[in-house]
Amino acid sequence: MNSLLLGGLAVGIIFGFALQRGRFCMNSAFRDIITLEDFTLLKSVGAAILVTMLGFTIMSQTGAITLNPKPLFWGANMVGGFIFGIGMVLAGGCASGITYRVGEGMVGSLVAVIGLATAGTLTAMGFLKPIKDFLQSSTKIVAGEGINMTLANWLGLSHATVAYSIIVLAVILWWIFGRKNEDEVEQSDKSWAERIFKQGWNWWATGIVIGIVEMIAYLSSAAAGRNYPLGITAGWITIVKVGLPGVEASMNWVAWLVLGIIVGAAIASLIANEFKIRVPKGGVLLQIFIGSLLMGFGAVTSAGCNVTHILSGIPMLSLGSLLGGLFIVLGAWVTAWWMFVRPMQ
Amino acid sequence: MTEEVVVTKTVDVRGEICPYPDMKTMVALKKMKKGEVLEVLMDYPLSIERIPRSLKKKKHNLLSVVQVEGPDHRLLIEAFGLK
Repeated sequence: MNSLLLGGLAVGIIFGFALQRGRFCMNSAFRDIITLEDFTLLKSVGAAILVTMLGFTIMSQTGAITLNPKPLFWGANMVGGFIFGIGMVLAGGCASGITYRVGEGMVGSLVAVIGLATAGTLTAMGFLKPIKDFLQSSTKIVAGEGINMTLANWLGLSHATVAYSIIVLAVILWWIFGRKNEDEVEQSDKSWAERIFKQGWNWWATGIVIGIVEMIAYLSSAAAGRNYPLGITAGWITIVKVGLPGVEASMNWVAWLVLGIIVGAAIASLIANEFKIRVPKGGVLLQIFIGSLLMGFGAVTSAGCNVTHILSGIPMLSLGSLLGGLFIVLGAWVTAWWMFVRPMQ
Repeated sequence: MTEEVVVTKTVDVRGEICPYPDMKTMVALKKMKKGEVLEVLMDYPLSIERIPRSLKKKKHNLLSVVQVEGPDHRLLIEAFGLK
């Protein structure tokens, strides 16, 4: 096996460990705001995006990486993102959330991964492909020949100017408005090892670690010939293709990454004594499966799941990722309101 | 705890997916009278860390969280009583 592809497995193991320790799930992050009025995971996501944005900008300025923002096809980004958002609430986890929870022993998440991979493959190369192709080609807007739309080139500014402005602005806004709502940090007398391996991580620690994983991922992935940082759905689709008879495909960096996530999360949950085979009831399994099919279709149509768009794409200022990410959040909110808030009123 | 509290109601959300453990707990508490105690059996790590924050917001009183085995936890919550 190509040793560069092993980088995907190694990065995946670290990523999976961080996801499990940080309980990092974007479905929860966005949904909790309206269902439980809880902002903790949202702050983790925000911190991860900012750390990643800072890292990518410095790395691109020093020539360590070449930014590769996803294209803007507004129709596909909106429709795909919204459907993905609906799906992840039904499935009980985003693309990274369902992947890491397989490593915790959650059978429901395994069902979700199968659904995501199945519908993703059918949209990438099966009978759903014409819908995706139509939505993408009919609404594609580019900044120039081979140049994808970003917030920077849309505003006519450099990537670094826009990125640093966003980071500074976000920190200032946080300092003024966010800080006072912060719960007091409990003084812990526990050892560092216990805090890393046994307890769930603080939101900011999770955000910083995931941001650093993104940077390592970009270098490792680019070295293996895939010029993009973290992603999930493409990895699962690759694994399905490898297993399909008559389809030429081989394991690539992102396919090893998703397998690594499961291994990393399993290691983390075993150390923390949180591993357990858990099986939801039949009706819930059906709900999860339907949700994950929507996720697979949505992710491929929008050219990205929550990780590709929100975690990796927004730091590159891709307009397609910003729009796709926004519609993932909207889809999740509408569904969470319908399923959880409305029945409680 | 020295004295055993009287459990009014039990909710078993083991094996449930996100966010059912939290939602079922909060719905059960909403229907209970002030001072009644809800027992929750939960095995989902994210919810076990998140539920104390949700309880605080709704002024319910978390009496205890006991690890039974592995991720299995038993929570005792005193309802604030909205009725």
